Amino acid sequence: MDSLDNTSWDVIITGTGLPQSLLALSLSRSGKQILHIDRNDYYGGDEAALALSEAEQWVKKHGGDASENADSAYSHATISLSDAQEEGAKKLGFSRAYSLALAPHLVYARSNLLPAVVSSRTHSQLEFQAIGSWFTVTAPLDGLPSWSRLTRVPSGREDVFRDDSLDLRSKRSLMKFLRFVASYDEESEQQRMVELKGLPLSVALKQHFGLKSAAAVGPLLALALPTVSEIETTMEFAVPRIARHLRSIGMFGPGFSAVLPKWGGLAEIAQVACRACAVGGGVYVLGQGIKNAIRAEDAEDSKLRLELTGGEEVTARWLVGCPRDLPATISKPIPNQADPAEDIMKSISIVSSPLTSLFPPTAEGGVIPAGAVVWVEVAGSSSPSVRILVHSSESGECPAGQCVLYASLRGDPSYLDTAVQNLLESMGEQPKPEVLWQMQYQHHAEAEQPQNTTSSGHVFTLQPLSTGIVLEDDVLKDVEEAWRKIMGNGAEGFMKFESREGVDEDE
Amino acid sequence: MQSHGIPRVAATTLDKSEQARNKERKQIIQYQALERDVVDRVKAKDYSDTTFQLTSQLLTQNPEYYTIWNYRRLVLQHVSARELAADEEPSEQDAAAANKAGLPPAQHEVLLLIKEDLQFLIPLLKQYPKCYWIWNHRSWLLGTATKHLPAHSAVTLWQAELGLVSKMLGLDSRNFHGWGYRREVVLAIERLSSNGDGEKGSGSGNMVESEYAYTTKMIQSNLSNFSAWHYRSQLIPRLLSSRSADTNARQEFLNAEFELITRALYTDPYDQSLWFYHQYLMATLNPANAQALPVLEPCGRVEHARYLEREIGSVREMLEGAEDCKYIYQALLEYSGRYLEVEAEGGEVALGEMRGWLRELRGIDPLREGRWRDLERKMGL
Repeated sequence: MDSLDNTSWDVIITGTGLPQSLLALSLSRSGKQILHIDRNDYYGGDEAALALSEAEQWVKKHGGDASENADSAYSHATISLSDAQEEGAKKLGFSRAYSLALAPHLVYARSNLLPAVVSSRTHSQLEFQAIGSWFTVTAPLDGLPSWSRLTRVPSGREDVFRDDSLDLRSKRSLMKFLRFVASYDEESEQQRMVELKGLPLSVALKQHFGLKSAAAVGPLLALALPTVSEIETTMEFAVPRIARHLRSIGMFGPGFSAVLPKWGGLAEIAQVACRACAVGGGVYVLGQGIKNAIRAEDAEDSKLRLELTGGEEVTARWLVGCPRDLPATISKPIPNQADPAEDIMKSISIVSSPLTSLFPPTAEGGVIPAGAVVWVEVAGSSSPSVRILVHSSESGECPAGQCVLYASLRGDPSYLDTAVQNLLESMGEQPKPEVLWQMQYQHHAEAEQPQNTTSSGHVFTLQPLSTGIVLEDDVLKDVEEAWRKIMGNGAEGFMKFESREGVDEDE
Repeated sequence: MQSHGIPRVAATTLDKSEQARNKERKQIIQYQALERDVVDRVKAKDYSDTTFQLTSQLLTQNPEYYTIWNYRRLVLQHVSARELAADEEPSEQDAAAANKAGLPPAQHEVLLLIKEDLQFLIPLLKQYPKCYWIWNHRSWLLGTATKHLPAHSAVTLWQAELGLVSKMLGLDSRNFHGWGYRREVVLAIERLSSNGDGEKGSGSGNMVESEYAYTTKMIQSNLSNFSAWHYRSQLIPRLLSSRSADTNARQEFLNAEFELITRALYTDPYDQSLWFYHQYLMATLNPANAQALPVLEPCGRVEHARYLEREIGSVREMLEGAEDCKYIYQALLEYSGRYLEVEAEGGEVALGEMRGWLRELRGIDPLREGRWRDLERKMGL
């Protein structure tokens, strides 16, 4: 390809993370000249999926503390390999047998992303698998030999019916609560919701729904996935999230509420989106970022003049990216930094067992899920719990006979390993499954970005994904806003395309 | 229809452009020509393979057109009669294949015909799982097989049908076509496997235990399954006799069923299908009820009164936390009424309490005021 120097574009998108890639997809049929660059030499940005050797390189690059990684969302990356794990490492498959997601996410069946994937005709290139069961692991009780209990979270009426750990009254009360949650935003329940919203979930359950059993609280918390401790989780936080889960069950098949994209999660969606843009004429260059804005705005032709990291000078009508991919001269530095206490500690562990009991079929004659969610208590109810997403080899992220565990916690990073060990122990498998390989890192929260921080308004910042594990609807809404700015206010048909001639439509 | 794992694109888009309308016009003309062709051929008694293929085309477009299914059957009847009557030598290939299947060549040909048509139905059934005519045709094909083929061939086909219907019920556990067809399939398998021994317990064809287990499984995956509960109730009398259950075993069984339904009712007292099953269990205790065969042996006034007392107590407890559930009050009134008939001096319920329940019922469901007034009069409250 000829040099990029002195080339002129309608839109330059920097970074191939999910938001930017979705924008590229949305513009793929617009006929606009699009240059899409990424300063990494891989696709996916912060949501990338890495092979084993790529992960090791990534860890080296992000090993320092936050100040040494100022332009990244990640820091403090390490690979921990104990002696036991050195042995275990021999059981690892070859590097490309793994596709480890830096930012694994649940995509709820109700999320706005899925209809967009369908209407933009990219769904035939993606395979979505079920995230079937949710579990809790309770911490071993003091004074007793270490014993963690793994229990399946009841997600609906039939689960409650079958759950032997709930007595009849608890079944009744739990159903009452679930019924309330299912219609919490309807007029009939609005008054009640206003009264209850500030209460901690655990308190409201006992006082207002007659759920005396403490054992029922954990599973409901698990469905809400808070980052804070039990006592800090309010009804206002928990109820809409539990409702989202309940309302998503059965949408794509009985017994599950969320899906994961095969072969690396969101990175796979980003890749498919970029591919679609390339087919539409977009130009892709890896290993390049925006170094500088030479002139923020040229008064005559109102184009941005930018310098790439390779030294080339390009012009564009529009520049879009996440704040960390835009040089400070364009996006004003964030006045109030995000609170470091909001940072999330994360780990990725490769485990030597398929952990089959975490993946029961979603229903009689239903699909075998490839993902499970485990909520692990580590230090009592006044401490946040660890969330672990478990992906089986069916997700394409590891070879058969192994699993990938993605743990995250807002708190002490040493609890991540405790949680993983508690989970493996609670499986009751002999011999106990072992961790073959593990990496840890920190994910920094992003403060809320004010939109259109430049005077010209031709630079658009996209919100990066949150540090959470659920893909929120905001992501696509943000992309749509950017799309509308670029295409003009009267534009219609966001993410709605006709299928291309001759492209295989898998119906 | 639900999809499994992959979001689906809408099958039709409302595009009334001139282009689309022209396309539609062409499709209509083509369809009408096809229909006319098939009808003419059948009138002329043309039962050739071409006619058969044309019915396939027509039915794929419109499986609800039941007359064409009839025509298809005429063709199939004609062809199988011809095969069975044939006295010409079969080809070497055909003879070898028939031999392998353990059938005389003529019957083997009929089997192949039936199998092919069963295959043809599968995608149609998946797309239109509630079309009477597709299930009906399937039934007819299996019936033809049973008529013309030896038992061992026919039973294999029926067993494949059991697999198919289980899969269809897995996709939609409340499809009553599926449940009805399942009963037909089970009956056929039992009849064909019974080897004429007629014994209820020992025949290898007795499927009542596995079918009972199947209803348990289906209920666990969806409590609101009227069909599953109904099937269960139909199986129970035969189940108990096939187990040669004695008095104790029968009592244990009934208690276990009550425990199951009570657990379900605590989980969801607003589900009517559960109350229907509870009523069925209660009805088995009522000697005056000819439709519900007794479970207990013996089953007289004493047992009836005892269970009524127990269940009224149990249902009364269900009120706590579900005071707005009309089914609970209805059940209480029904069982109380019966109790007072059986045990007029029994102390389990008082008229005052019953009047209270009726009052609640009127408050919850004012649209049915006429019905409650009737009930009040009938029960003398």
